[in-house]
Formats: sequence, C-alpha cells, structure tokens
Amino acid sequence: MALFYAEFPFLTAILLCCGAGLLTIMLIPSNHPQLIKWVSAVGSGLTLVLSVYVFIAYDQGLGGLQFVERYPWIESLGIQYFNGVDGFSLPMLLLTGIVFFTGVLSMWQLELRVKEYFALYFLLVAGVFGLFMGLDLFFIFVWYDVSLFPMYLLIAVWGSTRKEYGAMKLTLYLLAGSALILPAILYLVAVSGLNTFDLVTLTRPGLFTPFQQKLAFLLLYLGFGILAGVWPFHTWSPVGHVAAPTGVSMVHAGVLMKIGSFGVLRLGIFLCPEGWRYWAPLMATLAVIGIVYGALAGLRQTDLKYVVGYSSVSHMGIVGLGLATVSVDGLNGAVFQMFAHGVMTALFFSSIGYIYERTHTKMIPELGGLSRIMPRAATFFIIAALTSIGVPCLASFWAELMVFIAAIRVFPVHGVLAVSALVISALFMLRVIQKTCYGPRNATMAHLPDVSFSMSLPRVILVMVIVLFGFFPGLMVDMIQTASVPLLGGSAHDVAAVYP
Amino acid sequence: MTQLIQPQIVWTAAMSAMFLPLIAFGLILLITHRWARVSAALAIVAAGASLACSVYLLATLHDVQIPLRSTQTWMMTSDFRITFGYLLDPLSLLMLVIVAAISLLVQVYSLGYMTGDPGFARYYAFLSLFAWAMLSLTLAPNLLQLYIFWELVGLSSYLLIGFWYEKFSASEAGKKAFVMTRLGDVAFFLGILLLLMNLGNLDILRLNAPETTDRLSPGLLTTAALLIFGGIVGKSAQFPLLTWLPDAMEGPTPVSALLHSATMVAAGVFLLARLFPFFNASPTAMSVCLAIGAISMLMAATMAMVADDIKQVWAYSTISQLGLMIMALGAGGYAAGVFHLTTHAGFKALLFLCAGIFIHAFGTNDMFTIGQAGARKRRIPMICLIVAAAALAGVPPFSGFFSKELIMARLADHPNPLWLIVGLLGVWLTAYYTFRLIFVMLRPRPGVIPQTAEGHAHHGAHRFAEGAMNVVVLLLAVVAIVLGWFEKPISAFIVAPHSALAATGGHHAWLLWVTLALAASGVALAWLEFGRRTATQKGFVEKMPALQTLFANRWYLDRLYRRLLDDGIYRGLSRLCAKNDQKVIDAGLDELAGGTVASGRMIHGLHAGMIQYKLLTISIALGLLGIYLLF
Repeated sequence: MALFYAEFPFLTAILLCCGAGLLTIMLIPSNHPQLIKWVSAVGSGLTLVLSVYVFIAYDQGLGGLQFVERYPWIESLGIQYFNGVDGFSLPMLLLTGIVFFTGVLSMWQLELRVKEYFALYFLLVAGVFGLFMGLDLFFIFVWYDVSLFPMYLLIAVWGSTRKEYGAMKLTLYLLAGSALILPAILYLVAVSGLNTFDLVTLTRPGLFTPFQQKLAFLLLYLGFGILAGVWPFHTWSPVGHVAAPTGVSMVHAGVLMKIGSFGVLRLGIFLCPEGWRYWAPLMATLAVIGIVYGALAGLRQTDLKYVVGYSSVSHMGIVGLGLATVSVDGLNGAVFQMFAHGVMTALFFSSIGYIYERTHTKMIPELGGLSRIMPRAATFFIIAALTSIGVPCLASFWAELMVFIAAIRVFPVHGVLAVSALVISALFMLRVIQKTCYGPRNATMAHLPDVSFSMSLPRVILVMVIVLFGFFPGLMVDMIQTASVPLLGGSAHDVAAVYP
Repeated sequence: MTQLIQPQIVWTAAMSAMFLPLIAFGLILLITHRWARVSAALAIVAAGASLACSVYLLATLHDVQIPLRSTQTWMMTSDFRITFGYLLDPLSLLMLVIVAAISLLVQVYSLGYMTGDPGFARYYAFLSLFAWAMLSLTLAPNLLQLYIFWELVGLSSYLLIGFWYEKFSASEAGKKAFVMTRLGDVAFFLGILLLLMNLGNLDILRLNAPETTDRLSPGLLTTAALLIFGGIVGKSAQFPLLTWLPDAMEGPTPVSALLHSATMVAAGVFLLARLFPFFNASPTAMSVCLAIGAISMLMAATMAMVADDIKQVWAYSTISQLGLMIMALGAGGYAAGVFHLTTHAGFKALLFLCAGIFIHAFGTNDMFTIGQAGARKRRIPMICLIVAAAALAGVPPFSGFFSKELIMARLADHPNPLWLIVGLLGVWLTAYYTFRLIFVMLRPRPGVIPQTAEGHAHHGAHRFAEGAMNVVVLLLAVVAIVLGWFEKPISAFIVAPHSALAATGGHHAWLLWVTLALAASGVALAWLEFGRRTATQKGFVEKMPALQTLFANRWYLDRLYRRLLDDGIYRGLSRLCAKNDQKVIDAGLDELAGGTVASGRMIHGLHAGMIQYKLLTISIALGLLGIYLLF
C-alpha cells in the first residue's frame, strides 16, 4: 500500500479540533449554556470543514494512503501514532463530520447539564474520528474504547425510555465485542513475530497462515459485528437507539454502527483476506437474515425510534452482504451504504427528535396528521423514509444497487432474498409515514408550531447530502474505488468499460 | 433526410424536455411553494416547453431511419457503468409527445379543478416530478435508467394518489399502489440483474438485436423476459396485481387521467413495446403475455359492468384496455398495440377529465346521482364524454375503432382461435359497460335530486375554472375524433425500425363486420337495460346475485391479498420475528445477565469480610481436609 505523507497534519487537526473543543467546553462555566453550544457548533463545524477538505484534496489518481502522519510512541512494543486515509476511510470521516455537526445543531434545545453533555459528546466523536483514521492496531483499539464509554453516560443520563437498561445493555454488548477484538489483535501481532502494531506492515501478504487468518477473522468479525448490528447480535441496537437522546442516536446509528462494519473491513479484511474468503458464506447468510428479519420485526413496532432501529438492522445487513461478496462492487456498495445509511439515520433521528420535543411522544398510535401540523418536520421525516426504501436519486439507492449486483453473482439465493426484502421495507416505512404524517390532524397537537428555518438547518444539510450523492453517486463511488480495486488485487486504473 | 440534423440541438432539446419539469419541481418546492399561482405557472411553463421540445424532436427526426442515442456516464465501477442519456426512435418519440401533451393538458385542466385547494403548489410540484420521471423513462436508452425512472414514476404516483393525505382511504391507496407495484418491480429488477450478469449490457438496442437474443439460451431468455414482465404486470395493473389501480382513484381526478390511465400505467405496455423484439424471441413469454393480458382484460371488464362509481368504471376499463394492448403485443402486433396505446391515451384521459368536470360540479362520484343531478344539461362535457365513450367502445369513426380493428386483425392471425374469441368478447363487454354509464347519465330515472353544495364549485373563480377545463376536454375530443384517420402514417412510422417483425395482419373483411356487430349489440343491450324509457336500469349481471357479488368484490382478489398480508406477514412472520427478539434473544440475555448477578450474590458472602463466615469456612475446610486425610 502506497503511503503519502502529509505536508500539514490535517488528520491530527481534526482530532485537535475535538480536543480543543472538549477543553474549551470544560473551561466554560456551566451557567453559560448558550456559549457552550456555540463553541460546540464551531468546533464540530471545523471538523466538518476539515473532513470535507480532506475528502476533496485526496488525490484519487495516486490512491493509497494519503495525509499520513507517523510517529513512533512506544518503540519496544512497536506502537506508533500512525494516521492516514484511503478511499474507505474518507467517506467515513466525511460522514462523521456531517453527523457530528448536525448532531450538535439538533441538540440546540438541550437544557439539562449542557456542559457535561457536549463534553462527553466531543469525547465520543474524537474516538470515532481517531478510529477511522487510525492505522495502528493499538490505537484503533484504544479509540474504539474511547468511543464506547461516553456512550454509556450519554444514554444513562440524557436518555429516555428504559435508559439505564438500554445503556447497560449497549455497553455490555460492545464490551463483549472488544473482548473478542483484543485477543484477535494480540494474537495477530504475536504470531506475526514482527513486534509491531502497524496495520500496513501487518497487511503484507503471506504473513499469516490460512488457519491463523480464519481464526482471527472470525474473532474480528464477531467482535466488530456486534457493533455493526449483525443478526443475532442486533438487539442492543434498537434498545440503545430508543434510549438515547437525539444527538446521541444520530451518532450512534449514524456513525457508531459503521465502526463495526469499518472494523471488519479495516482489520478483518485487510489483515486476514483468506479468513474473509473462508467465512464469506457465513457473513452473507447472517446478513440476509438481518435484512429480512429486521424489516419484518420492524413492521410491528409502535415506537418511532424502534422502527428506525430495526430498519438500521436491515440496512446494516446490506452492508454485511456487500462485504461478504468479496468483490469490488460489493465493497463499493457496502462502503457507500455505510455512508448513505449514516446520513439517512441521522436525518431520521434528527426529525424524530424534533417531533418528540414538540409532541412529547414517539409512539406511532398517538401521532398522526403531522404533515398538516408541522409540514417541514414531516417532510424531512418522509424524505428519510423514502431514502430508506431505496427510492432512486437518493443516496441509498446506488449503494443497494451495487450490493445487489454483486450479491446476485456470488450468492444468487441470498441476493434474491435480499432484493425481495425491498417489498417488506417499503411496506414497513410507508406504513409508518401513513400513521404518523398522514391522516387527519390530531386535535391535541394542532397548536404545535412547525420547525423554524434556523431549526431545520441540520436536517437541510442532511437532505442536501442525500440528494447530492443521489444525483451524483460518482462522487462517492470513484473515491471508494481507489481503495476497493487495489484491495482485490487490481490496479486503480483498471476500469473496464463495458459499454462502447 | 432533407436537412442536416445538428446533434447539439437535438441533445439540448431532449435534455430540456426531460429536465425542465425537474427544475420546476425544485423551484416550487424550495422557493415558490407559498405562492400557488406562481407555482402553477412555473409548472405549466415547464410542461409547455417540454412539449415544444418533444414536438420539435418528433418533427425533426420523424424521417430519420437510424435511432439516435447519446449517453453519458452516471456512475462507473470497475465492473459496470450506469449511463444516462436518451434514445430517440419512433416509439420513444411518439410516447414522448403523448406524455408531454397530456401532462400539459392535465396541468391546464387542474388550474380549474384544483382551484382553492390548500396543497395547490404541492400538487404542481408533484405533477412536475412525475413529468420529469415519465419523460426520462420514455427516452431511456438502457434498462437500468428505465428502471430508475420507473421507480420514480411509482414514487410520484404514490405521492399523488395520497395527495389528500388526511383521508385515510387516500393514504391507504397510495401505500397499496406503491407496495403492489414494488412487488412487480422486484421481479423486474431481478430480471435486469440476470441480464446484467449474463450480458454485461443493458442497452435496449442491443437487447433487441438478434445477436443478443441468439446468444442467450432459450431458458435464460424466457426467464429474463418473464421477470421483466413481472414489472409490467405491476405497473400496468394486470392480473394478479390489478387491485391497486381502482383504489388509486382516490387521487384527484386529473391525476387519475394523467397517471392512472393515459401515461404512467401505460409505461408497462411501453416497456413491452420497447423490448418487443426481445420478448418476441421467446414464444413462452409471448404466450404468457397473451394469457395475462386476456385474463386481465376480461376480469376488469366484468368488474366495470357492476361499478357505480364513474371513476371506478374508467379505472377497470383502463386495466381492461391495457390488457388488450398486452394481448396485441403478445400476439405479435407491435403496431396494433402501440397504436392502441396512443389512441387510448387520448380518449381515456378525455373520459376521466369529463368525469372530473361532473365530479367537480356535483360533488359525487356516483353515476346515478350525477345523472339525476342533471349531467346532460352540461353540454360540452357530456358531448365530449359521449365522443370518448364511442372511441372506447370502438364505434366508427372515432379513434378507438381503428386501433381495435388493428388488434382484432392481429388476433385473427394467431394460430389459436381462442385469443380472437376472447378479444371479441372484450369488445362486446367494453361496448356494454361504456354505454351503460352513458345511458345512466343521459337518461336518469327521476329521483331525489341531491344538493350540489358538496362539490368544490367555487363561485368566484368558477367561470375561469370551467373555461380551463372545457377547453382541455374539447381539444382532446377533437383528438379522439381525428386520430383514427392517421392510422396508416402512425403505424408506418412506428414499425419502421421493426420492419422484419411488422407483418401486419391479413385482411379479414368479415372481422370488421363481426367486431362492429358485437360493439353495436353491446350498445343495444345497454340501451335496452338502461337507456329506453321503460328500462329498469338494472343490468343483466345484477339479476344474477352470485355473479354480481363476485364482480363487485373484484373476484375476491383484494380480500385474498388482505388475508395474506394480515395473517401471513403481520400476524405471522413479522410477529414471529418481533417476538423472537423479545422472548428468545433478549429474554435469554436478560436471564444470562441475571444469572451472572445472582451467582455473584451467591458467593459474595465469601468476601463479605465478616469474621464469623471466615471462621466457619476455615473450620469446614479443615474438617473436610481432615476427613480426606483420615480416610
């Protein structure tokens, strides 16, 4: 893998923005909540600007890892501070920046313990950023845990509906995941005999025997799979989504679940390609069960956040299916879907958060007629739902298309089942739209105001992103291609035009 | 070719035809949604410009022999490329003009029909969205682009059916339409994936080329064709996915005219025509088309015989006529099917728009009530309605007569006489149910004359509203009268690229008379039962209660699907999954967690730090050790 060192440490700058934001927030007295919110908005806005810059400035012609920063830290153990981005991690950085910024804006109405909330929120996102750009296994593991613990507090303190239970369940699940990941990392580092945690060095082909790869891949797949909501380890996710406050649900479903699938990709697939090929049928099967099962189980939910939680299970199944195909299109689709799903669920939770704040309920039977009462808020929700059912010209469609094209070649039966689930997911989302947004105006809510323009800013940004990548999928696919083609042994320029 | 065609101008015209409505949609949604009239003006200007471009394209390219295509990369991976572009050949040019023209007419008509509706701007935005999707579908040069816009057309149909979303029946109908067509679309999508996998290419011209169809094994070809046909069945509301279309009448009447009769549902037939040589290579697929078309045509016609709701009658009739077109194509009658698609678009839009005038004026959909309320006093819509009905029933010299004649000639050429018999039966049924409606409205029985206050008649803008609607129906009536005379040039124009396949039906002089006699007898029976002075206005079907209930309940198809959905999905699989999560996975984990805590409790005494426990433990341990050592 080619490394291109950064002239200016943009990646560290992103982390520093989070760190500086965190420190500033800690230093502001808690009786200035408005100031804290502005600092958070500026801090998160800066990370967004930087991640957009990195996304644009990445040289797709060169490919490989760019913006690399590498400094030895504990040389006796082979631990280094090693960051870099490629076509897989750039979409994730961009996603994190978008969700982070819009998540801060979506919590503008927060009144309870504002300082603590935003401090923990910054810590959480710093962990996520660190993980996506990290290339040292030790650091990846540390970042993973950094992003977990604030989550517990954020849900347990600021959450709703069974928040202690949800927070505890989530934390235990994710810790169980890290209990599988850590042995896998240590095992790989130990058997390599190179005394390094350097991911790039360890990716060298032929370093691990097939057996070692199979074993380590399984551990990594299960460990990160828990976080990615792989069936049957998915039940923490709807419960956690429901319990979490709006901004945290956005990061949680939008970004944190992607850490899971990204971990499978970056660690599992990069380090153990043999294991990947070996376990691909298992991955595909679990993924398809997740796709169908998530949609079916979601059909019966009455809590809006549960509905979105189950749709996430279904959509993350598509990511899993894409990864399982061991093909360029599958990887493209999976990473694109990670991005599209992240933006889409952020939009979902941001809209639901707004609806909940006004109506004080997120139970579907109690809602109704929202399109009449708050047309803007309802429109955002409907756009998210339409993205979720894969309407063309919205980002998710392309991702699903690529995954299906890849899946039908490699696993025809799985592919057909996954495509058929489109009907269920349509039924499922349209039913929710019908029961919440449509129908006669609910008299008890008739007086509620619509979202003001400034309040809808986070949702406007998210919709713009969805539409932008929906009309110009090439912006994303070209980027992912620079990583997926070399990973499968092709050259980045090796693009066979099928059409004349 | 008389003059040189400039590719840039053609490109600009085609792109403008497609994208102007999208621009109107965006502008209305983002900026002008507060100003109803500005929004409507924007949409209408866009539709008008779109029509102008379409007509220009047709006029410039009508005598060009080679189809023009242009594509640009939309998205590219190392394995495949998705392109966006256009394909201009006679079929797409014809369809382009039909869609653009009816779009524009319906948008003008809606100025009257939708006056004062609180969602006026939203309505025009959705109509523009539809126009964009449908025009891009029409011009699609490859199947994937076609599929993408096919789905977007479905989306705009969903939004427009559920336009009055506060009504439960409307939102339910929208959902039903989307999900049922999705069911067909899944098959269509799988068909596309199958072709992509085996050919690596979805270009329509290539798919239609004999080299391609020869390359595929017959089994694969048939499978792909049947899967694609699944999408056609969904979109064109054919058996067994036909029940969404009558429900879709919940949308505003102009929407029914545009989407659910003239253009969108015709997209299915259009796709079949688009891939006609491909389908033609598989005899099995062609037979399936014939059979499904025939079943749908008869089934829907029987439903139309007992419906009292004027829009429902036209909805069933749409299904029935689409079935007829699919039969025509299935029998190899490319020109016949496409020509009927053309004439049908005109007269069916007219039927709906006339019905809309009555509905608007009298505030009811019931044809008996409309008749009693004095429908025949409204000369313009009534005369236009009769013209359109005559076209639908196949009465000469109106347009439907010519296209049906072509289809019957084609069916007569088919080796299996069954299809001709079915087709002729369809002619008779159509004439009967169409004129049943006409006579009910023309010659009402005296009854309680209902108040018309419920209609959306708004007196201020009333005259303008009526004017806009009347102009549109008159225009369409003229089309229904004259279009038939252009049978020869239009057929010649559309079959040009398929001259090899275009063996027109032999000439059967007797067939003309048989068809005419059947149509006449249908009209006569309707007259006997509904028209004459002493008529009871009870059809012969109503005298057979068993048939009456069967037809009125849509052959129980709806009920069957409802049962499947409720028992199979909601109470079955979905419940199973949800319960499994709660009762098995989560309950198991909670038990595990509880067990861990409980086992901790059990041994926590050991570490409680109480000296008594420790002494007790020590003595027990020593005792056990002693026993072990002693024995």
